[in-house]
Amino acid sequence: MAETTTRKYPQPVTACLSSGKGGVGKTSLTVNLAFALAQKGLRVLLVDGDLGLANVDVLLGLQVKTTIRDILDTEADPLEAVIYLEPNLGVLPASSGVPDLANLGPEDHQQLGGILEPIFQHFDFVLVDTAAGIGPSVLWFNTYVDYNILVVTPDPTAITDAYALIKVLSRNYHRQSFHLLLNQVKDGLEARQVYEHLARVASHFLNLDLEYLGAVPQDPAVSKGVRSQAPFLKIAPHSKAARAIISHAERLQGWTAPGPVPRKTAEEAGG
Amino acid sequence: MPDPLCSLTLCPFGAEDCPVWAEAQRLQEECDRLRELAQTDPLTGLFNRRRMMIALDQEMERTRRTGLPTSLMMIDLDHFKRVNDTFGHQAGDEALKFASWVWRKNLRRIDITCRYGGEEFAIILPGTRLHTAVRVAKRLQAALQNAPVVLQGRKVRLTASFGVDAYTPRQELTVRAFIKRADRYLLEAKFKGRNRVCSQKPETAKQTLEVTMDERSALFGGNAASENGLAPRKRTSMKG
Repeated sequence: MAETTTRKYPQPVTACLSSGKGGVGKTSLTVNLAFALAQKGLRVLLVDGDLGLANVDVLLGLQVKTTIRDILDTEADPLEAVIYLEPNLGVLPASSGVPDLANLGPEDHQQLGGILEPIFQHFDFVLVDTAAGIGPSVLWFNTYVDYNILVVTPDPTAITDAYALIKVLSRNYHRQSFHLLLNQVKDGLEARQVYEHLARVASHFLNLDLEYLGAVPQDPAVSKGVRSQAPFLKIAPHSKAARAIISHAERLQGWTAPGPVPRKTAEEAGG
Repeated sequence: MPDPLCSLTLCPFGAEDCPVWAEAQRLQEECDRLRELAQTDPLTGLFNRRRMMIALDQEMERTRRTGLPTSLMMIDLDHFKRVNDTFGHQAGDEALKFASWVWRKNLRRIDITCRYGGEEFAIILPGTRLHTAVRVAKRLQAALQNAPVVLQGRKVRLTASFGVDAYTPRQELTVRAFIKRADRYLLEAKFKGRNRVCSQKPETAKQTLEVTMDERSALFGGNAASENGLAPRKRTSMKG
C-alpha cells in the first residue's frame, strides 16, 4: 500500500450515506464528498456498501480486480482490494450483481466487520455508500459506523423512505443521531422546508432531533459527472453543486471519532 | 449415525469368540438403547421434552448465526380428559399415537416433533418464518380434524389447539422464555374456544417498522410536499 501521507486523526471517523429510496443521488454525493475531503489533505476511504449491486466503480470508471466479495470468499488481503484514485483517496469496491451478498447473515456480517476494521485503521475518514432500501446490509452498515447521513430529495417518496429508515434504525437499533443531506433542491429555502418538515415529524413521532448537514442544489454538472464517469467536483469545480459539497466536507472535517468504544453491530444491538 | 465400531462384526485383531469384543459390542448396544430411551417418548416415538430442549437450543443458536428465524409450535389436544374418561386410558394412548402420526405425516423431514408432556406437543420448525409456521399449524389443525380415529369401534374426531411463535436473531431470548411465549398463544387458543391457531400478530411485529397512516399524513400534510402539489391537502394537527 502506498503510504504517501500519514494519518491525521488518531481514530478514523466513519460515516454512512443512506437514503431508503434509490435514485436520490446518494452514490454521486458520497463520491464527491470523498474527493472533497481528500482535497483537504485527509486520508479518505470510500466503501461501496452496495454489496448486491455495486456502482461506485461504474461511477468512477474503475477496473476492479479484488472485491469485498473476493475477500469474504478467499481471505485475500483486504488492503489489496483498495484502489487508489489519489495518493490519499482509496476505494473499496463491492462486486456487481451478486444477489446473495445483499442478504448476508449475522455470521458473514461479523466476518465483514473483521475485514473492514483493519482497513479503516489506515484512514482518517471512511465514507460508506450503502444500497437503497432497508435490507440487512444497509442496517448493518448504519449500525457499524459512527455517523448516519441520510440523503433526501424533496420528492415525497424519498422523504417517506428516509423517514422509514430513520424509524427502523432508531426503534430497533438504538441509533439516535441522524444528519440530513438534502439533494436536488431548487434553493436553500426548499432545502430548509423539507428538513424542517421531516425534523418536526421525527420529533413528534420518534422523539428524535434530526440534524441539518446541508443541501446540494439541482445542477447540470451532477448528471454530466455521472455520464462522463468522473466526479463533478473535478470536471466542474466551480459549479453550484461542487461548491456546496466543498462546504459540507468542511463541516464533516469537524467530526471526530467517538473514541475507543466497542462497536455495536446490528446483530448485537438487539431490538 | 451408526457408530463406526458397530459396523465391525469381528474383533479388529482377528480373534474368534473374543470375549472383550463381545462385551464391547454389548456395551455399545446398551449405550444406544439407553440414549434412545433417554431422548424419545416410548408411546409416540417422538422426541421427549429433554431432547426437545437441546434441539430448540441448537436451532436458536443457528438462528443467531445464520439470521434465519426458528418457529415453535405448542400444541394441546382438546378435551383429552374426556377421551380418557369415555374410552379408557388405553384408548387415550391410541389417540396420542394417532395425533402424532397425523402431524408427522404433514411435516417436513427437518421439522422436529416432540411430546412435551401429557397431551401437549411441541414442533420446532427450523429456518421458518412466522407466517409460514402459522400456515403449517393450520394445515396440522385441519389434518387432525378431518381424520377421525377409531377408538373401541367408535369413530372419534380429535381436535387440537395451536400456539405459534417465531424467534428472530435480534431478540434476546432463552429457550425457556421462547417456550413460554409460544405457550401463551396456546393458552389464548384454548381460551378462545379451542381447535384453532393463535400466534404473535404479524401486524404488531410490522407496526413498529412501518410508516403509519398518522406519520404519512403528517409527512405529506406539511408545507414542503404540498407546495410541490404532490400531496393531499389534508393536514393533521401536530403538537411541538
